[in-house]
Amino acid sequence: MDTFMLFLILLAIPLLTALVAFTCRWVGASRPVLTAVHTIGSTLLLLMSLYGVWAVYQQGELLAGHNWLHLDSLSSLFLAILGVIGFITGIYSIGYMNHELEEGEVSLKSLGTYYGFFHLFLFTMLLVITSNNLILMWAAIEATTLSSAFLVGLYGQQSSLEAAWKYIIICTVGVAFGLYGTVLVYANAANVMPNPGDAIFWSEVLKHANLLDSSLMHLAFIFILIGFGTKTGLFPMHAWLPDAHSEAPSPTSALLSAVLLNCALLVIIRYAILISAAIGPEFPQRLLLVFGLLSVAVAAFLILVQRDMKRLLAYSSVENMGLIAVALGIGGPLGIFAAMLHTLNHSLGKTLLFCGSGNVLLKYGTRDMNAVKGLLRVAPLSGALLAGGALALGGMPPFNLFLSEFMTVTAGIRGGYLWLVIVLLVLLTIVLAGLVRMIVMSVLGKQPDNVSKGELGWLTTAPLAVLMVLMVLMGTHIPQPVQQLLKQATTIVLNGDQAGIDELHALELPGAATEDSTTAAATSSHSAAQEMYRD
Amino acid sequence: METIALATMLLPFIGALLIALSPQRYAKVLCTAFALLATLGMGWLALSYLGSGKTDVTMPLYSFGHTQIFGFVIDRVSTLIGFAVVSLGFLISLYSCGYLTALNREHPHDGSNRYYALLLIFIGAMAGLTLSSTILGQLLFFEITGGCSWGLIGYYQSPKSLRSALKALIVTHIASVGLYLAAAWLFARTGTFELTAIAQLTDADKLVVFGGILFAAWGKSAQLPLHMWLPDAMEAPTPVSAYLHAASMVKVGVYIFARAIMSSDSVPHEIGVVGVVMATITMVYGFLMYLPQKDMKRLLAYSTIAQLSYIFLALSMSTFNSKMAFDAGVAYIFNHAYAKSLFFLVAGALSYACGTRMLPKLRGMLKCTPLLGIGFCVAAMAIAGVPPFNGFFSKFPLFAAGFSLTGEHWWLMPLLIVALIESVASFAWLLMWFGRTVPGEPSPELASAQPVPLSMKLVLLVLIVMSLVSSVIAANWLN
Repeated sequence: MDTFMLFLILLAIPLLTALVAFTCRWVGASRPVLTAVHTIGSTLLLLMSLYGVWAVYQQGELLAGHNWLHLDSLSSLFLAILGVIGFITGIYSIGYMNHELEEGEVSLKSLGTYYGFFHLFLFTMLLVITSNNLILMWAAIEATTLSSAFLVGLYGQQSSLEAAWKYIIICTVGVAFGLYGTVLVYANAANVMPNPGDAIFWSEVLKHANLLDSSLMHLAFIFILIGFGTKTGLFPMHAWLPDAHSEAPSPTSALLSAVLLNCALLVIIRYAILISAAIGPEFPQRLLLVFGLLSVAVAAFLILVQRDMKRLLAYSSVENMGLIAVALGIGGPLGIFAAMLHTLNHSLGKTLLFCGSGNVLLKYGTRDMNAVKGLLRVAPLSGALLAGGALALGGMPPFNLFLSEFMTVTAGIRGGYLWLVIVLLVLLTIVLAGLVRMIVMSVLGKQPDNVSKGELGWLTTAPLAVLMVLMVLMGTHIPQPVQQLLKQATTIVLNGDQAGIDELHALELPGAATEDSTTAAATSSHSAAQEMYRD
Repeated sequence: METIALATMLLPFIGALLIALSPQRYAKVLCTAFALLATLGMGWLALSYLGSGKTDVTMPLYSFGHTQIFGFVIDRVSTLIGFAVVSLGFLISLYSCGYLTALNREHPHDGSNRYYALLLIFIGAMAGLTLSSTILGQLLFFEITGGCSWGLIGYYQSPKSLRSALKALIVTHIASVGLYLAAAWLFARTGTFELTAIAQLTDADKLVVFGGILFAAWGKSAQLPLHMWLPDAMEAPTPVSAYLHAASMVKVGVYIFARAIMSSDSVPHEIGVVGVVMATITMVYGFLMYLPQKDMKRLLAYSTIAQLSYIFLALSMSTFNSKMAFDAGVAYIFNHAYAKSLFFLVAGALSYACGTRMLPKLRGMLKCTPLLGIGFCVAAMAIAGVPPFNGFFSKFPLFAAGFSLTGEHWWLMPLLIVALIESVASFAWLLMWFGRTVPGEPSPELASAQPVPLSMKLVLLVLIVMSLVSSVIAANWLN
C-alpha cells in the first residue's frame, strides 16, 4: 500500500465513522444501526492501526503528505495502544451504553452523540500521533480537548458539565503554554535552518538540532513541559483530571486515561528528543524527574483518601504518568525502555480498572466506595477481575506493571539515584495501600440488599477478561514483536546515542528462553569458602 | 529434572485456575489433589538429587544474552526447605477440608473457591521461591506470597481481619523495598540477577545487597522493627495461620537470607553483628509478649517471632565462618515448620471442637480429646527444645556453634546467655500452660466438645510423628 494511502485510510476511518454516526443521530436511526456503525468503525481502526504498526516494523520510518504525516517506531507504539485500547473500550461501550439506554440515563440521541464524539476523539488523537508538523501537533492536542469535553459532559448533569467546563478551561490555558514552546522552537529553527520552510517539521528540525539556540531551548522546554504536562496530568497542572475522568462515562474515562494522556506524553517526548539533541539531556531529564516525582508523591497520598472510586483511579493515572516521567528523567536505555513499557502496561491496566468501575457504576448506581460493597458476591467475575486489576496496578507480580516498575528501579540504581529510588518505592507502597483499600471497601464485604445478583452480560465482562489475559502475558512473557517495538521506540528516544543503543541490544527481557553457557561457567566458579556451605 | 521442577512450581497455579473456574463443591478435592501432586513433584526432585549423589545443579530457565532472569537451583538446602513448605501445604489443604465446614463451632463456614485457589497459589509461589536461583525470582514470589497472604488473612472479610490483612500486606511490602534495592543493586553492579553473583561484589556493595535482603527478611519473618503484622494476622482462618505464620510465609525471610549467605563467599561482618543483635532483642521482646497472652493463637504468634529470632541468630552467626551455625539455622527452619504447624493446628482443632481457643477456658484436654492433648504436649516440648523432639536438635547445634565462636568473638557470649535464658523461660511458660490445659477435670467447653473429623486427625498424627523424626531427616540431608 502506498504510504500516503495508509495515512489517509488510517485517519479517514475514525473521521468517517464519526460523521456517519452524527448523520445517524440526525436522521434518528435506531440503536442497532448506531451500534453497527460503531462496531465496524472500531474494528476497522484496530486492523488499520495494527497494519500501520506492521508497516513501520517492515519499512521503518514512514513520511507522507509533504512531510506533514509521520510514523516511526515511537509513534507506532502509541498507535498500537490507541488501536487496541480504542477497540476494547469500543466493544465495552456497546454493553455499557446499551445498559445506560435501558436505564434511561441517556437517550437515543445522546447515544448517537456519544458514538460520534467517541470516534472524533479517536481521530484527533490519531492526528497527534501521526503529525510531523509541530503546529499541527499542538492544534491536534487542542482538538482532543474539544472532542472529549463533549464526552465528559455527556450526562448533562451539573457536576459533569462543571467537570467538562473545568477541563476545557484548564487544558486550553495549559496547552497555550505549549504553543509558546512550539513557537519558540519553530521561530528559532526557521532562523537557523538552511531551508526555513522545513522548520515546521519535527523530523527536519531534529536533523539540524545542533544549530538551535541553547537558552531559547531551555525556555522552550519549560513551556512545553508545563503546557503539554497539563494534558499529561503532571502535578501541579493535574487539577482537571480527577473531575473529567470521574464524570465521563466509564469507557471514555478509560480512553482519556489510557490513550489521551499518552498522546500528550508523546508530544513531550518528541520535544525532549529535539531539545536534548540541542542542549544535552541533563536539563530535560532533571525537569522530568522533578515533575514526575512530585506527581507520584502527591497522587500517592490523594489515592489513599479518596471515597469516589473513579477519582481514585484518576489520581492513579497522575501517579503512573509521574512514574513514566521519572523513568524518562532517569534516562539511559534502561530508563527509557522502562518508560515505554510502563506506558503500554499502564494503558492496559487502567482500561481494565476504569471499565471495571463502569460495571460497578451500572450495578450499584454510584461510585461512592462507602455505598459500593461486596462486588465479589454480586458479580463474582467482575469483582475478581477488578480486584486482580487493582493488585496489578499496585505493582504485584506476576502482572505486567511489576516488571516495568522494577525496571525503573533498576534503571534508577544504575543511574546512581539511590535515594530517589527508595522514596519512589515507599510511595509505590502507599499507592498499593490505596488500591487495596479500594478492593477492601468495594469488592469485599457484604452486599447491600437492594442490588440484584448476577453479571451484566458478556459485552461488559469479556473486554475485562481479555485485558487481564494481556496483562498476565505482558508480565510473564513479553511477545517478541512487542519487545522489538519497545526496543525500536527506545532507540528513537535515545536518538543516536550509540553507547546507549549498544547497551540496549545487550539488554534482554523475559521473552525467548535461550540456554546460556556463560551462566554455567559462572556457577562452576565458586570460591572455596562458598563451597563450605555445600557438600 | 528441569521439567519436574517446573511442573512442581506450575501445577499449583494451574490448579488454582481450575478451582476458580469450577463449582465450589470440587474446590476441596482439586486443591488437595494438586497440593499432593506438587508434594510428589518436590519429593521426586529431592530423590533425584539424592540419586545424583547430591551434586548441586543450577538450571537457567529464562535467560537472554548475559542476563539470567529466572532459574532453578537444586541443592541440599532448596530441596529440604522446598519439600517442607510444599508438603505442609498439602497437609494444610487436607486439614482445611475438615476445618472449613459448617460444623466448625468457631467459624461455621464452607470453604469457598477463593480460599482453596489462594492456598494453592501460595503453595506454588513457595515452591518457586525456594527453588529460585535468581534474586529477581525471589522478589517475584516474595511479592506473590504477600498478595496471597492479604487475601487469606482477610478471608473472613470482617472489618478487623481486613485491617489486619492490609497491615500484613503493607508492612511486608515496605520490607520488600529492601529486596527491590538489593536486586537492582546486584544487577547494576554485576549485570546479572543470579544469586551467585553476590560473591563477585566488593565489600561496600555487599553491604548494600545484604542490608537490603536482611531488611526484607526481617519484614517477612516478623522481626523487630517490622514484626507488628504477625500477631494481628491471627485473624486468619487457623489452617492459614498454621501455613503462613508457621511454615511458609515467615520462612521466606530466613530462607532468602540463608540463600544469600550461601551464595556469597564472605559476608561483611557488620551484617552478622546487626543480625545477631537484632535477633537477640526480638527474642527477648517475643518472650515478654508471651506473658499477657490468653488467646492461644496470639501466644503462638509471639512464639513464632521468638523462634524465628533463633534462626536469624544462627544464620547471622554463620557469617563468622561457622558451617555448623548455618546448618543449625537451616535445620531449624525445617524442624520449626512442622512443630509450629502442629501447635497451630491443635489450636484450630480446639476451636473446631469447642468453639474457643482462649487458654483459660480450656482444661482437661487429655480426657476429652486425647489426640489434641498429646498434640499440644508434643508441640510444646518440640518448641521448647526438649529432647527427643526436633526442637532440641536444632537448638543444640546452634548453641554449640555459638559457644565455639565466642573464642574469636567474645561479645557473643552475653547474647548467647540471654538466648539460653529465653529458651529456659519459654519452656517454663509453655509448661505452665500445658499444666493448666492438658491434664485435670474437663472445663465445660471441653466437656461438650464435638469429635474432630478424620482428615484433621490424620494431619495431626503425621505432624506429631514429624515432630519426632524431622530432625533426623534434616541432619542426614544436610550432611
